Amino acid sequence: MAYGFEAKNDSGNVIINDTIENLHFIGKATRSSDNSNYGDFPGYSGSNDTLDGRVVHTYTITCSGTPVAFIKPTDYDRWHSIIKQSVSSTTWTFEVMISGTSTSNPPEIYCFVNADDVPSTSDTYGMIVYKSNGSTKTFDSRRQPLAITGGGTASAPPSDPTNSSGTPGTSTGHSWNYSSNDHDFRSSSQYTAHSDSAANTSNAMFSCSSLAQAVYKRQQHGYKESCGCCGFGCQDHHSTASWWVMYRQAFRLRSGNFDSGWTNYAAGYAFSSSYESGGWFGGGGGSYSTGTMPYTAKTINLQSNAYILADSSRYD
Amino acid sequence: MAYGLSVFKSDGSLGFSTADITWQTVAQFTVAANATVANTYSEIAGMTVIAQRQLVNVPPNAQEDYVPNVVISNNSQTITVSPQSGLSSSQCIIHVLAQDT
Repeated sequence: MAYGFEAKNDSGNVIINDTIENLHFIGKATRSSDNSNYGDFPGYSGSNDTLDGRVVHTYTITCSGTPVAFIKPTDYDRWHSIIKQSVSSTTWTFEVMISGTSTSNPPEIYCFVNADDVPSTSDTYGMIVYKSNGSTKTFDSRRQPLAITGGGTASAPPSDPTNSSGTPGTSTGHSWNYSSNDHDFRSSSQYTAHSDSAANTSNAMFSCSSLAQAVYKRQQHGYKESCGCCGFGCQDHHSTASWWVMYRQAFRLRSGNFDSGWTNYAAGYAFSSSYESGGWFGGGGGSYSTGTMPYTAKTINLQSNAYILADSSRYD
Repeated sequence: MAYGLSVFKSDGSLGFSTADITWQTVAQFTVAANATVANTYSEIAGMTVIAQRQLVNVPPNAQEDYVPNVVISNNSQTITVSPQSGLSSSQCIIHVLAQDT
């Protein structure tokens, strides 16, 4: 290079120069609310009622530029992902979903932006590197630069997010008003592991987008015929029970592993029962429904994605 | 360290040094729903490049939200974002990061 600044690391790779901006820590996003739900199917009690549950924590941070967010779990046993990121003026909002229903131990969200968009500081010492235009910063030592510890390509999670073998479907031939879920919709065994020596359960944090989504449903149709005296006045009785779950991709840090898996985001249970009118005997029935299945059963956005690991303790 | 560059925090602790590895940020842009965008950055030619995708304003329980595909080409200089084949795509933030390797 004819002029400017360039710093290479011990491997001879450029980590600071005057053409590409470094990412700098600007602070932790502030948690404002949480919403906990779906530890089981609403309105249903019976076999396979239990779900993984989820809590959605909402965080905000104000900054110029687009922040790169890292999730630092407080409870490393739980699955985490950012499911939504939006901006109003310069205030960014993150919705962070974690598995389970306890609102205790929310994760921390560490935010980084490009050097030229870091907030001003009163520090009067340090080192700033500018681009050739003399005004755009690529590096500012007064704000902590991002140093990574690991990362790579996170494969998509398994297409089937449910612990039971195979995806659930529809069956007929059940007795009238039958409603007993025979599919385990939890996701604890459905993940893809990535070996990464930087992954730990003490200070590691990660940045990785949640792309994959899935919806699956178990449906059971019941039927009986009842007839009056001497086989006259027969009635058809029908019932339908269905359980559906919507999933979002989520991630987990273990010692030596970064896992790409699933957590249920929403769920519902519906039951309906009917019979023909005009028969000899009335047939009791009814209906129950919670929520609407967002789309037909499938898995979408099943793609690999880059992930980055860093040491959160550097920024505390 | 015997040589290199160390940057210290105001409390005197080490903040960053030439013993570290990092990703530098090349660009951030938002791609509208169903749009195709191709941006070229000559300064990252030959570097390792990743493009993080983050859905924006997703109503996660109301519709199918397809993320756009990202293709990195032209000696890592060009980032092309486009809907998955035959599908609509949702609004998406693209964050392009580069690493000298």
